[in-house]
Amino acid sequence: MVRRLVRRIAGLIATLFAASFVIFASVYAAPGDPAVFLAGGRDKLTPEKLATVRAQYHLDEPLVVQYGRWLWDCVHTDLGRSFRYGDQVADLLAARLPTTLELVAYATVLFVLLGVGAGVLAAVRRGWVDSAVVGATTLAGSVPSFVAAIALISLFGVQLGWFPVTGGGTGFAGTVHHLTLPALSMALGALAIISRVTRQAMLDAAAADHVEVARACGVPEREIVLRHVLRNALGPIVTMCGLVTAGMLAGTVVIETAFGISGIGSLLVGAINTHDFPVAQAVLLLMVTGYILATTVVDLVHPLLDPRIKAARSTV
Amino acid sequence: MKRTPATPLLAAAVATLALGAAGCSGATNALGGGKPLNAADLKLTPTTAQATGRLGTVNWLLEDEPDSLDLDTQGTSAGRTVLTNVCERLYQLQPDMSVRPFLARKVTRPDPTTLVLSLRDDVTFHDGAKMTADDVLWSLKRHADPDMEQADEFGNVKKMAKTGPHEITVVFKQPDALFTKALAGDAGLVYHRSQVQAAGKDFGTPGRGDACSGPYELKSWKSGDSLTIHRYDGYWGGKPLTRQVVFRWASDSAFVNALTTGAADGGYAEAPNTAAALAGRKGLSEHYGPSTASLALIPTERGGLKDPAIRRALSLALDRTGIAASGYGGLVQPWATPVGSGAWGYAKPAFAAAQRKLNATAPERPDAAGLARARKLVKEAGAPAEPIVIGTDASQGRTVIANAVRAALQRIGLAGVIKTVPTAQFEEFYSSPQARSEIDVLVGDWYISKSDPMGFYDNALSDSPNNWVGFKSRSYDSTVHQAMRTLDDGARARLAVQVQKEFADAAVWIPVAQVPAVLVLKDGLTGPPASQAHLYYPWAAELGTEPGSAPSHQPPGKD
Repeated sequence: MVRRLVRRIAGLIATLFAASFVIFASVYAAPGDPAVFLAGGRDKLTPEKLATVRAQYHLDEPLVVQYGRWLWDCVHTDLGRSFRYGDQVADLLAARLPTTLELVAYATVLFVLLGVGAGVLAAVRRGWVDSAVVGATTLAGSVPSFVAAIALISLFGVQLGWFPVTGGGTGFAGTVHHLTLPALSMALGALAIISRVTRQAMLDAAAADHVEVARACGVPEREIVLRHVLRNALGPIVTMCGLVTAGMLAGTVVIETAFGISGIGSLLVGAINTHDFPVAQAVLLLMVTGYILATTVVDLVHPLLDPRIKAARSTV
Repeated sequence: MKRTPATPLLAAAVATLALGAAGCSGATNALGGGKPLNAADLKLTPTTAQATGRLGTVNWLLEDEPDSLDLDTQGTSAGRTVLTNVCERLYQLQPDMSVRPFLARKVTRPDPTTLVLSLRDDVTFHDGAKMTADDVLWSLKRHADPDMEQADEFGNVKKMAKTGPHEITVVFKQPDALFTKALAGDAGLVYHRSQVQAAGKDFGTPGRGDACSGPYELKSWKSGDSLTIHRYDGYWGGKPLTRQVVFRWASDSAFVNALTTGAADGGYAEAPNTAAALAGRKGLSEHYGPSTASLALIPTERGGLKDPAIRRALSLALDRTGIAASGYGGLVQPWATPVGSGAWGYAKPAFAAAQRKLNATAPERPDAAGLARARKLVKEAGAPAEPIVIGTDASQGRTVIANAVRAALQRIGLAGVIKTVPTAQFEEFYSSPQARSEIDVLVGDWYISKSDPMGFYDNALSDSPNNWVGFKSRSYDSTVHQAMRTLDDGARARLAVQVQKEFADAAVWIPVAQVPAVLVLKDGLTGPPASQAHLYYPWAAELGTEPGSAPSHQPPGKD
């Protein structure tokens, strides 16, 4: 068990190391010159001034040296200072991360409840209900999230005035109120996938012999669905929910922009546009870490749901 | 100091990258409610009606979060819009764009190269400490540091010294007519030295206090969330009507939605397209004021537009009214000089008259006679062999201008191709001759921070890095230098008009339109200036309710 954990952590660090270099190199290779933004106004863009700025921010050094410098500081828990804000990168992240996490968590709750619910409904009530659910979720899933955002804003925000259209809100009630429309816009896209996976996993589980046996023994249908079908179908459902959530961590940019929410998504876009290397690097690395962590959690939760997997693994 | 409006650029980039909404709906009037404006009818008024009623908390919208509240290291429009209520300067820019001494009570010039600033002795900083001449001198020296944004304003300064308990004397190498204008900008900010030094590198970052003396003090800045300023009770001047202002930020359609739904009480719309989407909305009033901002075509050192005759011909054939209507919802005005009317901080009638005369070189709409003249110019100069490459990014306004340029070129028998690059790369055209070597003309925007046209025209000096076409004229250079040394406003205005004429005749840049400052207010609110002075004038102190109106949503301010 300990060896497995050590191996996993070592793998995690190796992945992060590789990801950090790829990210560093790609941010560096993006078109545009950071010195132009750092120098100030357009009238100051003389070659001499730009050279001074490059030297000041070590931009004139080779890529590998810059990466080494960054990594060294990073290992010493110093993510550096933002070129654009002059503030510590860690502070910038700490201020914006909660909003993004809240948004993703809310969207996850929504798509899990609605998606799994719809999938179960479709699997249990075959026929026109099934067709209706499949049709509706496919439609919802085919609408890009920014289009959904615009539609939701104009209907529930501007026309009806039920929900605020900008900002993240404060306090629990305020946050829920502010984040409902953004979370819904994000959840809609995931609905089709989750409901489809749930439906199929349920149908597969329902075809098992023990379900037939239980039914023959007169176990109530409700109990069969909950204890024998849904429980056995949870593996793929949880895996898919985990993957979708992990993907959302990196996909809040569009929604944050549409709703004027300052999360790490909008921070990233700003950082890339202004060549704020330290911030772009940190946010991207955070997103990769979030993705790895989320998938790891799914991996760890899986055996708990299905004892057969646990048994199979522990023999290795 | 000249700066570019970085925020709209960023906003455009975000919109292009992510939203689509700006392209589909936010930029025009399609969001509903907005009514198209006619550029010719746009009346620019520097002020709004005076407010009488007090207000409690006002929610104000910025187009972007300020980068930093240390304007010496990172000055943006968002940061200035906030800080101008918190920090004060030695001179103050007025809503009508004139400047007057401010923290300097009186100013004398014993000779043309000496400026004596007699400082107010009744000013306290927000921590209660009195403003001293040492603070002022230290602040000026900080601004003059070569690493700071305002360093170029101090190029003519030979010496700055404290010459009395409340007196600073600045000695120049040669007379500097623009220095007092700069003191109304960020070069004139006065900080409490010990506060700035105590904050060190963190000065101006979230969670720090201010080091200033204005009518409001910085209460909190929660990074990524909001920024709050609160009335400073020990203020030396008049008491502000509004007790507290909470700033939040959003761009493009989120900006429009926040104001439309009442989530925000007001904001200065920096992007003309955002302002166009808000025009005529129920429950909101929109005010237009003079600004120095302009849209212009900036020819580069290569290709067909290197020839002044071809540039003049293009200017004659350009449909500026069409651009204003279809690219900017009528919110920009066809214009014949490269700086907006907000630059006329003095001698307004003279500048207005000179601008009207230049209409012949940059007509609102090309007429038959103008087109004939343009074709003749092209014929005499010889049509360039290669098509003219027009550099732009994908933002709506620029795309419209680029297409209008191509149409204008066609009208005079020339070919044009449009080269669209990402916004981040677009900015590089301004700095890198290498990047510019791919294009013949740039669809540009520009503004100057000083309300003096001479703050712009030095860009076309023979040795200026911004003089891309290699315009060289001995008379231009000498008139510019002479104007810079001419302290008398009337005399300088005459020289500026002369310079402007020569710039227009050579079509160093091809002016397209002036971009007004736009103030959006919820119905019932009034008071702040509508002009570009909102970047340098404590606008929030004058924000209040209209006489006879008491909006129910606003709790009355506690006094």
